[in-house]
Amino acid sequence: MAGMYDSIEISASGLSAERMQMDVIANNIANANTTRTPGGGPFKRQLVVFAQKDDPTQGPDGVDAFSPEATGSGSTTAGVEAVGIAQDTSPDRLVFDPGNPDADPRGYVHYPNVEVVKEMVDMMSASRAYEANVSAIQETRAMGNAALNLLRS
Amino acid sequence: MPDINGLSFGSTIDTLGNALTGSAMQNQQIANNIANANTPGFHRSAVSFKEALADAVDGTPADSDSLAMISDDDRQFTTGQAAAPVPFDPKPQTDDTMKMRPDGSNVDVDREMAELSSNSAYQQTMAQLMQTQFGRLREAITEQTK
Repeated sequence: MAGMYDSIEISASGLSAERMQMDVIANNIANANTTRTPGGGPFKRQLVVFAQKDDPTQGPDGVDAFSPEATGSGSTTAGVEAVGIAQDTSPDRLVFDPGNPDADPRGYVHYPNVEVVKEMVDMMSASRAYEANVSAIQETRAMGNAALNLLRS
Repeated sequence: MPDINGLSFGSTIDTLGNALTGSAMQNQQIANNIANANTPGFHRSAVSFKEALADAVDGTPADSDSLAMISDDDRQFTTGQAAAPVPFDPKPQTDDTMKMRPDGSNVDVDREMAELSSNSAYQQTMAQLMQTQFGRLREAITEQTK
């Protein structure tokens, strides 16, 4: 039976995607001043790439989400997915500090292209999106309870 | 002897069941919209199940104000453009309007939360009505034994 559990699974995909976003933002903030990485050079700001999962209801053939073709597989295909982590290609933050051991020949230190204020804003956005998904799960559960109560008395 | 498969408790239960199905579909679409709130280029989708429900109940397009009379027998009177009820089969539709965000998505989380809440309240109302209807039927069944 589709419906209630598919909705919760969709919201759960949103939860895990937003949580991954939070992890990446936390990593960006933690490395806001990291000048050395295994690959050499300063840390680069990372971004999570969100993509919509293939949804049978959005397909060109217009398969109904509740039809046996769509639900027979036993797994929902709608929702969101963090498909990868990309690097921000914007230029490094340059600070003139000739005494720093990581300074380049001209005396500039390459700091990561992380702006902590921007990360904070992204973090709030991810946090609110997470809460929205939690609310969606709660409402779905309330609906499921209402349907289950049909069996009572 | 009546066929048990043809046993019907009236169209109210069927209609309420359709309403529950439709609101579950709508809930799934809203959950998907919220999950994709941060997906660039995503287009929200919705199920216009209330229109489909109206069509299934009175057999006429939902925008018509007149409630047509349905007949299931040639000897019955009919009025207006009475048509046979259409099967309840709503489909999710992508909403391509209102591009309000620079990333090409048209999801407004506030709107989705409002619709989530109202859809949930609607579903719980329908479930309550169904429970009441079952209570009436139960009373009709058991009254004889008192």
